[in-house]
Amino acid sequence: MPYEVSPSPVAPRAGSRLWTAGASTGIAVIVLVGLAVYQPALAPYLLGAAGLIGLAAWILNRTPPAPAPSNDPAGLAPSQAALETETTLLESVFEALADPVLVVSGGEADDIAGRRIVLANAAARDLLRIQREGGLLVPVLRDPAVLEAVDEALFGGLTRTTDYAGMGAQTRHWRAVTQPLAQARSGPLALVVLRDETDVRRMELMRVDFLANASHELKTPLASLSGFIETLKGHARDDPKARDRFLDIMATQADRMSRLVSDLLSLSRIELNEHIPPAGRVDLARAAADVVDAVSVLSAERNVVVRLDDRETSAPVHGDRDEILQVVQNLVDNAIKYSPASGTVEIVIRPDIALDEAAAPWSGGNRGDGATRLPLVTPDREAGQRYAAVTVRDHGPGMAREHLPRLTERFYRVEGQKSGERQGTGLGLAIVKHIVNRHRGGLTVESAPGQGAAFTAYFPLAPRREAVTPS
Amino acid sequence: MPQHTVKAYGDELNQLTAEVARMGGLAEAQVADAVDSVARRDIALARAVVERDARLDAMHRDIERKAIRLIALRQPVASDLRRTLAAMKLAVDLERTGDLAKNIAKRGLILAEGEPMPPLTRSIERMGKLVSMRLRDVLDAYAAAEIDRAIAVWNTDDEVDEHYNALFRELLTYMMGDPRTITAGTHLLFMAKNLERIGDHATNIAETIYYEITGQEFTGERPRWSPDAAEAAPEPLSPV
Repeated sequence: MPYEVSPSPVAPRAGSRLWTAGASTGIAVIVLVGLAVYQPALAPYLLGAAGLIGLAAWILNRTPPAPAPSNDPAGLAPSQAALETETTLLESVFEALADPVLVVSGGEADDIAGRRIVLANAAARDLLRIQREGGLLVPVLRDPAVLEAVDEALFGGLTRTTDYAGMGAQTRHWRAVTQPLAQARSGPLALVVLRDETDVRRMELMRVDFLANASHELKTPLASLSGFIETLKGHARDDPKARDRFLDIMATQADRMSRLVSDLLSLSRIELNEHIPPAGRVDLARAAADVVDAVSVLSAERNVVVRLDDRETSAPVHGDRDEILQVVQNLVDNAIKYSPASGTVEIVIRPDIALDEAAAPWSGGNRGDGATRLPLVTPDREAGQRYAAVTVRDHGPGMAREHLPRLTERFYRVEGQKSGERQGTGLGLAIVKHIVNRHRGGLTVESAPGQGAAFTAYFPLAPRREAVTPS
Repeated sequence: MPQHTVKAYGDELNQLTAEVARMGGLAEAQVADAVDSVARRDIALARAVVERDARLDAMHRDIERKAIRLIALRQPVASDLRRTLAAMKLAVDLERTGDLAKNIAKRGLILAEGEPMPPLTRSIERMGKLVSMRLRDVLDAYAAAEIDRAIAVWNTDDEVDEHYNALFRELLTYMMGDPRTITAGTHLLFMAKNLERIGDHATNIAETIYYEITGQEFTGERPRWSPDAAEAAPEPLSPV
């Protein structure tokens, strides 16, 4: 059939010359047939006329249509090219957007399978693991609130923001912004933009937890203090023996409180400075030696040997002397606290290593005793940057794998472990983490139950000078 | 025309799957919101959960009706039949899940009248997180038709059981220590039980997904610790 009634790509446009030719031929045929019926005698002439008209129509049909470009603006070719580059530009922008973006088509209002993903950018495809186009919306984004918002955008033309949690192994919090798009031929369209809000939520949660924990930690010694004061005011007033003992306990508790408060203060100070890189220059090896000297009283008390290998190395790093000292001090304190009586704590300084070496297990990785290693802080990789590392190793009870990721949380304690008479504040490693972070360094832990623990902190090496500033 | 029939048929099947996914999303949100309402003592949220349960019931009926219609009109066979049946089975599990979530929210409303019990509600919250994560995983597995993920959910059911046992002991200790907490403690105990059963429904769903994809029943032994498991193992016959 030469003419399809359905709109097909080859159908003549309305008003084109082909329509005119076809219509006039049709009218001519009707007129001729009418004449032929009315006056059969004229039939031979009419037949000839019909032949002529048919020939004319055929010729018209054969001749190519008048050259179309003549009607169009002269600069069509360049503008088309410009349009094309603009489309590809828009396309690449859409693809490159960091937030997952979806374009959803509506279909029927009551047909949930009609919601299809018309377009998805690279981030959305990664996140939802879908094809670029044509997938069903519901299996990938099934949160009822979001689906409702999409429906409202599609059929109600409303813009809405919805928060929801989901997708992936770790719970992430997302905010979905749904907006109606201009009506397309196939039906309504809506735009869905997802934004990751996990970090914001986590910060909020941390703040709340921190307040609750800090007040709880302060409440315990305070309760015991006020209890003893009551006893001293009451029946222990005239008992010098009990009074002395109580006062000792009270002193310990007050000491604990003041340590807690000073730790909290130093933590908040370090946090304030976290984005200001330190200016000074410290010798890590000498800092370690200083710490070993400083803890000699404590280690002698607990009958623990602290061993520092070759004190002669120098490992100059960029850093604030007090803070670097505090890192080593906290790590060594912890090691002594968790060491059994007459145990040893080893401190190893590695003055000049690459990032990969620093992050690698200090014992070479083949301990074969099931010890797990976990980076707690990892610095951004900078080409050619060398590091100096200090590793503090104890032979205490060690920790199981599940505790390692939470070690630097404030007030986190490994269950069932006692840190001895000198109780920690639960902030030591949190402080270490923040200092290391500020110094653009790294922190790794390696441990297994019953195998002790090894903490490694490493800092970017300062360029060597002839004479290292005495620290 | 033959293509048209199959296309409509395929559309109907897809629609069924989409409806189940949507119902799953709602059930998931119900569980998460119910636990949230208990943890935050949010009365409005708890009421919303109770109200929304009717929608879940309606969806369940709708899916059942559509599945029956599909079976009657299209006579599905092989994987199509399994898909239809799986949709029906999932709808039942999800409906039950929704009922349990509603129950948790109702108990939450009662708890909100009393004193807050932070350590206990925190334990419930932790267990609720675990259970909703499993529900989410198994529904992800359904949407993406991934057997491995479904099996992974099935394999980790003992985590929920462990949580339940720990919570049970914790609650008993509390109630023995302070009899005034018995009312709240009992409600929390039932909440924990409900969560545990939601976890069981998640494993059921995992089994259904396995059946839907492979056509075989899942016959693995669930990794569950029992004191006489070692003794119960049949002794090997000694060659006499």
